[in-house]
Amino acid sequence: MRQLNRRTFLRSSGVAVALPFLDAMDSRRSVAAESTPPRRMVAICASLGIHSPFLYPATPGRDYEVTPYLDGLQAFRDDLTLISGLSHPDQSGADGHSSEQTWLTAARHPGLGGFRNSISIDQLIAEKIGVETRFPSLTLGTSTSSQSYTRSGVMIPSQSKPSQVFAQLFLEGKPEDVSAQMRRIGQGRSIMDTIGEQARRLEQDMGRADREKLTEYFQSVREMEQRLARAQEWSTKPKPVIDASPPQDIEDEKDVIGRMRLLMDLIPLALQTDSTRLITVLVQGRNDVPPVPGVSIDHHNLSHHGQDENKISQLRLIEEAEFAALGQLLSGLKSKSEGERTLLDNTMVLFGSNLGNANSHDTHNLPVILAGGGFRHGQYLAFDAKDNRPLCNLFVQMIQSMGIEARSFGSSTGESLLD
Amino acid sequence: MTAPQNIEKHFAFPVRLGLAIASIFVLGCHAHGQGSETVVVQDFLSHHCTSCHGSDDGEAGLNLTEFPGDLSDAGRFSLALKVHDRVHRGEMPPPDQTQPSDTDRTRFVAHVGELLTHQERQLLAESGRTVLRRLNRSEYENTLRELVGAEVSVRDILPPDTPSHGFDTVADGLRFSQLQIEKYLEAADVALDAAIMLNEQPESFHRRMSLNEEKEIRDNLDTPEGTIKDPVSGEKHRVLFRRLPDAVVMFSTGYPPGDFRQFNAPASGLYRLRASAYAYQSHGQPATLRIFAHRFREKRLLGFFEMPVEPREVELIAHLNRDELVQVMPHGVGFDPEGKGIWNVGAAEFQGNGLAFQWLEIEGPLGAWPPSSVARLYPDVPLREIPKNQRQWRAQGTLGYELAPHDPVASASQVVASFAERAFRRPLKENEADPFVQLAIASLEQGSNYEEATRVAFRAVLTSPQFLFLDERTGQLDDHAIAARLAYFLWSSPPDDELRQLADANKLGDSDMLRAQTERMLANPKSQQFVRNFTGQWLDLRNIKATSPDKQLYPEFDEMLEASMVSETEAFFAELLSANGNVDNFIQSDFLMLNRTMARHYSIPGVNSEFFQRVALPADSPRGGVLTQAAILKVTANGTVTSPVLRGAWVMKRLLGTPPQPPPPNVGSVEPDTRGASTIRELLDKHRNSETCASCHAEMDPPGFALESFDVIGGWRDRYRSLGTGDKPPWQFEGRDIWEYKLGPPVDPSGSLPDGRAFQDIREFKQLLQNDRQQVLQSLTEKLLIYATGAGIRFSDRAEVDQIVSAVSNKDRGLRTLVHEVVQSELFRNK
Repeated sequence: MRQLNRRTFLRSSGVAVALPFLDAMDSRRSVAAESTPPRRMVAICASLGIHSPFLYPATPGRDYEVTPYLDGLQAFRDDLTLISGLSHPDQSGADGHSSEQTWLTAARHPGLGGFRNSISIDQLIAEKIGVETRFPSLTLGTSTSSQSYTRSGVMIPSQSKPSQVFAQLFLEGKPEDVSAQMRRIGQGRSIMDTIGEQARRLEQDMGRADREKLTEYFQSVREMEQRLARAQEWSTKPKPVIDASPPQDIEDEKDVIGRMRLLMDLIPLALQTDSTRLITVLVQGRNDVPPVPGVSIDHHNLSHHGQDENKISQLRLIEEAEFAALGQLLSGLKSKSEGERTLLDNTMVLFGSNLGNANSHDTHNLPVILAGGGFRHGQYLAFDAKDNRPLCNLFVQMIQSMGIEARSFGSSTGESLLD
Repeated sequence: MTAPQNIEKHFAFPVRLGLAIASIFVLGCHAHGQGSETVVVQDFLSHHCTSCHGSDDGEAGLNLTEFPGDLSDAGRFSLALKVHDRVHRGEMPPPDQTQPSDTDRTRFVAHVGELLTHQERQLLAESGRTVLRRLNRSEYENTLRELVGAEVSVRDILPPDTPSHGFDTVADGLRFSQLQIEKYLEAADVALDAAIMLNEQPESFHRRMSLNEEKEIRDNLDTPEGTIKDPVSGEKHRVLFRRLPDAVVMFSTGYPPGDFRQFNAPASGLYRLRASAYAYQSHGQPATLRIFAHRFREKRLLGFFEMPVEPREVELIAHLNRDELVQVMPHGVGFDPEGKGIWNVGAAEFQGNGLAFQWLEIEGPLGAWPPSSVARLYPDVPLREIPKNQRQWRAQGTLGYELAPHDPVASASQVVASFAERAFRRPLKENEADPFVQLAIASLEQGSNYEEATRVAFRAVLTSPQFLFLDERTGQLDDHAIAARLAYFLWSSPPDDELRQLADANKLGDSDMLRAQTERMLANPKSQQFVRNFTGQWLDLRNIKATSPDKQLYPEFDEMLEASMVSETEAFFAELLSANGNVDNFIQSDFLMLNRTMARHYSIPGVNSEFFQRVALPADSPRGGVLTQAAILKVTANGTVTSPVLRGAWVMKRLLGTPPQPPPPNVGSVEPDTRGASTIRELLDKHRNSETCASCHAEMDPPGFALESFDVIGGWRDRYRSLGTGDKPPWQFEGRDIWEYKLGPPVDPSGSLPDGRAFQDIREFKQLLQNDRQQVLQSLTEKLLIYATGAGIRFSDRAEVDQIVSAVSNKDRGLRTLVHEVVQSELFRNK
């Protein structure tokens, strides 16, 4: 692993990284570990779409035929459900790819007029159970964009360097770094105190709308302070010890698949050690040619294939590689046992895209695969392609299966999609 | 153009009116003390509206029996506004129903308008139109740069801002979260690291270098042609350069690149780069020289120059990061008059064009050491040079200096207070700096050194509400708030010393002074920030990279063209701004702003410079105005095909300011098809001929049809390019025949507007569009006001907008006049 510059290390491990985690005095974790393993969720989006004809079988039900993209996932046939006919309503937005912002939030008309995004499901769940783990959630990606949004609609940037995530999760700093980090966190807390107090003072002679803005600022400062406080507690406690060596980052930004594979290897480690229970991954195809054998045209362009056969066949190569990476994740999760079950049984993996037909930027009929998490799997559920069901109905079930009481999310209508 | 007629068919009104309790009648009587108004409204409704919109399951789910109800409810307000507008525009009652008399219509509209204005004024009384707004990413970066005096890039650290009402200056979209605070701290650290540069003085570099001294290039030149490089594959060596007495000719843009490895930036800072080169074997044509900086990863283009056949010396001053090296690369070279490339022929016999590169001279880092940013943050604090044998390594370098104040506590108090005063863009209130000073002092007491202690305070200032928010109080803005609003409007930067002094002296309330300052600021190069940030959002230029044109279909597209496209549109706006050109030029102009790249793209001869220049529009050119600028044509297309729908919607939204409603749910889009069998128009016809789609598309598509004559990169076309069936193009690319694509069906750029006026092509369409010039002016006025004031345009702002529009119309319709009118307006001068 590359030697981290000391300042970088301090910065990343001090403030940005040491997010809230389990209180030392809190015994919930040890108790929980002995009884039932925790529930987890992973949501992975391929933002340039998935060519549906290669994904969906003709026959719904349990006896569906194998399609090109499902071919590599046959080992997990009973661990996954394939669903069609789902979408978020009103996704026409500022441009054809605006729905990237709303795959996990379901906010309407992304980017238009006074659009404000809403909270993504991972963050909603993190608000409830985030305190239980070292990291309330992990937001990963092949670039810096993500699909995780805070309650005020701000995107949480992705971490795209697996080596850094690995270091945050598992590597201890040197003693002098740790003490410098402690001092830095202390300074951060004093700063938060000071600026929070400033906001309080300014508030006094302001109108209601202005005060609301200032309150939002004040609350953000307070949350930051709380984060730092937790970071301070945690920085003295040991990180989990694992038997794995740090990943080597892929510098080539074009190698989206390579980067995705590294993340797929990292996820089971993060979940198994209960470092976090919520992970989102944005696999963002690019405007350049990915180093996939047989591909000579850039990915974005291939997604707008215009029915050109050569393009569709190149697109297939890229998407097959994405499905292979998904298979790699599922197999990583399934190979780890937890009690009498596997890690996959305790982890929902949602895989899909915010585009149903990328060729025309169509946001209906989104491709959806749900694996693991203890659902009764093994079938292909085909809902009406003309009159889609809300994807949020599935989200509600996912939130509930995390042990959180929820009746609705986004555009949900209260109907269950899975038994 | 009028708004679509059938929108409500798709969009039920969100509010169920039947549930309303409070009604207009109470509010109306109370507000104006007379009952006649309610009677007018009620009469009008019962005569003209409620027969269709009389119950909850009436037309469009709209029940107007208790109209408008309690307007303090946002949903009901927007409903009332919609009713007002549609009756005002004569769209309702629909043409096939009995029409009200003009007097009745006018009275109804006036009464509803008054209620709306009254309601809005009440709402805004407390906080004004513009809610407390924070700096956006660009503003934050510019502000930080000026404050610490160092060229730092922090915008990519911060979470992206969400534009609201089309602009990222609008308060609604500028939100806070814990993440935002965390990132501000990170950005502050980056800026302070760069500014408090106390490393030992780097060696300065000043040398003139030639490519002949570069090992990789010498190896390529000196290895005999045809030498077997790889015994397994049998790959042979190709010489790609030619040595001349005074230059090395570059024939290729591939490997090895023109890297100057003799140079390795010893420190981050400003450098002067000079280069000399000329076009070689180019038949009189220039050759392009590009200069990049890189650290063996992503390259940064520092500049590009068109080099003539005679040697030309060029110079640029650029910020280089530590350890970066400089690369020179030609562009558009390496093919001969028969279209053969250097790889086919070899450098010895090659007759094709190249760039003869003579020398590169680099000097820097320029300026004093330690950099002036240190004195900017620590005025009057003595620096001590650390003896050579005591120097210690720290972040990226060896510490050569330290801050040595005589009395650290007193100095910290002074330094922090003066930093806060500059950061807050106004005089400090009593004791306002104390809490920040206290942070530094507490840190000193806990054993931190002076630098670390003051940094804690700086970080607090840079995340404080006084720094992040624009300090605007309800009512008329005070001088400092005006100074800040003006500076962020025209520079996206904080007020400079002159503005600050004028604000301190309370002189910015004066209209003439405001005008003089606006003139001064527009003349300053920082106004390029306004041009870039405003056009970037108004005209969507920020989306230029959203799609990448298909390489097969558009082999002529490259990054140089892409960058020039954006520059063209920016230069066009800047030209209108500086020459006070008529706003109608956005529809059609008799001049273009072109550099060589764009002129070639548009097949306009005679432009041989990399600089954009004003060129008279040739009589036979379809260009002129923004619509036919390549950047606009690119951002409204995807990489392979154009869509008349998207382009038409763009014209409505951006130029006319009358955005079409989004498509109804469950309607698919037209699937692009590049096989050459059918045109987009044929595909679209199926769609728009269906009844539900027809009315909106009749409005939306015509501009797009006219623009069909332009492909996805803004090139002219008579026939669509095809990857399937078609004919071989009769033209050439880089001296050779085209094999990448074929020519498919012909383009049909004709169409007709909803009112029946027909056009044959883009020229005729632009003539028809001149009828909407008032609409274009009004839309641009609104967008400038939104951008400048940080708030959307409300109903009660309309009168002021109209006033500006008529003032500009009565003068010269100039863009600069418009900017002045915006600055002078009440909307700009009040919160």
